[in-house]
Amino acid sequence: MKKKASKRFILFFYILLAVVILLFIGPIIWMVMLSLKTKTEIFSYPPKLFPEVWSAQNYLHIIRNSRIPTYLFNSFKITLFATLGNLLVTIPAAFAFSRFRFAFQKQLLFVILMFQMISQLIIAIPLYRYFIQLGMLNSHFGLILVYITVQVPFTTWVLKGFFDSIPIQLDEAAIIDGFNEYQTLFYILLPLAMPGIATALVFNTINAWGNFIIPFIFINDSRLFPISVGILNFADTQTEGEVTIHLMATASVLGLVPALVIIVGLQRLIVGALTAGAVKE
Amino acid sequence: MKKHQALLYRRPLKWLLPMFIMLGLFYAYPLFDVIRLSFTNASILEPTYTYSLRSYSKMFNDPEILGTLATTFIFVSTNIVMQIIIGMLIALLIKTGMKQGFFMTEACRTVVLIAWMIPGVLVGIIWKLILSTSNYGIANYLLELVGLSRIGFLSEPNMALLSTIMVNIWRGTAFSMIMLYAGLQKIPEHLYEAAVVDGANAFQQFFRITLPLMRHIIFINLVLITIYTFNQFDMIMSLTGGGPGRSTEVLTLTAYKQMFKFFDMGTSSAISVLLLVLNLSIAVIYYRFVLGESNVDNQ
Repeated sequence: MKKKASKRFILFFYILLAVVILLFIGPIIWMVMLSLKTKTEIFSYPPKLFPEVWSAQNYLHIIRNSRIPTYLFNSFKITLFATLGNLLVTIPAAFAFSRFRFAFQKQLLFVILMFQMISQLIIAIPLYRYFIQLGMLNSHFGLILVYITVQVPFTTWVLKGFFDSIPIQLDEAAIIDGFNEYQTLFYILLPLAMPGIATALVFNTINAWGNFIIPFIFINDSRLFPISVGILNFADTQTEGEVTIHLMATASVLGLVPALVIIVGLQRLIVGALTAGAVKE
Repeated sequence: MKKHQALLYRRPLKWLLPMFIMLGLFYAYPLFDVIRLSFTNASILEPTYTYSLRSYSKMFNDPEILGTLATTFIFVSTNIVMQIIIGMLIALLIKTGMKQGFFMTEACRTVVLIAWMIPGVLVGIIWKLILSTSNYGIANYLLELVGLSRIGFLSEPNMALLSTIMVNIWRGTAFSMIMLYAGLQKIPEHLYEAAVVDGANAFQQFFRITLPLMRHIIFINLVLITIYTFNQFDMIMSLTGGGPGRSTEVLTLTAYKQMFKFFDMGTSSAISVLLLVLNLSIAVIYYRFVLGESNVDNQ
């Protein structure tokens, strides 16, 4: 039963909606606009929303004369390996939690959930000590291992949830047909759990791309920075005298775009995963 | 969802082993070590240390560290209240829009979600540009447009804390919005229809139907955003770096600074342990409330 909304109601609704949209996208648009302006335009008063001449000059400058492309490449590399590596750990674990019954299973799941609630900073401090001793400071390999681990709790829970939703009768039928547990996982469960794996990939990608604490602590060699740390480093070296705001905005937009593409493109998966645990179906 | 009854396979250990190794090496052992180090005077600069309670007595007697504790509580409490309220308002707005099939409603949800998912460092930089007192600081320009005077959003200590809180609300609200919107959708429509028949207005519907039925999800939401807000680090680091002075320094930043600025691993570990205790106690509340005694299998 849908009753027709009055004109006044519609107007009121759209005013509110516009305010919300503006509040949340406005800051990002402002930064994009700054990235398209020249240095003089940025400091002119009163500030204008749109640049006088649309030009990609700042972007060319950043791509040619800064380390931002290196940072982006580092982030791509780290994110890719961390995301895939994480699945190698979490798919078997989620399979075990969903299809096996063993002692302390509930307690173990609980402990894993606890890990997810703990600030990454807490583990980063002692890890820093080991990494110095192992000579793993400034190594992408060490970084990837930590990235894989911090995403293990969340991904295991998500994948277990998806495996649980696949009827166990399918496993039973497969066993009757002579499948062993590896075959069941690969040919029955994984294809059906693809939405879950996609969800895990999205979250892992976004979190690895944005992770800051871990590389901030473990990487001091500026050639090895991922974009999150690289941009802050760039900003800190640039803001002295505040003359290169246009370049800082440009670098930020470049760091933002990959995350933005994923968020907008795959938001259905994101929304689904966020609410899966809390709202009982 | 139905419970799995059958025991399909045995010997799960090999499937769990990679997880055990990773969590053991990079979570469990560091946690043990941070607790151990908190009872030492360890420093990054020197390899040897002795066991003592020095770090804890330092932590609880240092007025500056206690000050950041106060800052953290102001930061967290303001944030969670505002995120829930604003998240609820936007969720209601989106529910209304979706129900009526209004154009642009979904775009609104996407836009709010973007603020939550973009890297925290970038959130800090974006707002640093906006809140600047230079000419490109659009916030101050807008203040002047409506006839107000300029504000040092990030340069005056109290204002800086308020700005940091506002930016974090901007960033964090999406999570509450998504959770609460999902909760709103679970409320049967006929309850509202019956209320309308009985002559209830929108406010009565909200306080008599919506809120009571959403107690559960609001509580879960509260617990989760409390943890997220306590653990906030990257946005503050790039927005203010904890300054000016220590006005926006929260516990995570203090732990970081003790370690990497003062090289005091002991005190840094003690602060981490405090943070750990806070994290875990909130997490236990979450566990007891959400998962209950026997619900783990059903998740």
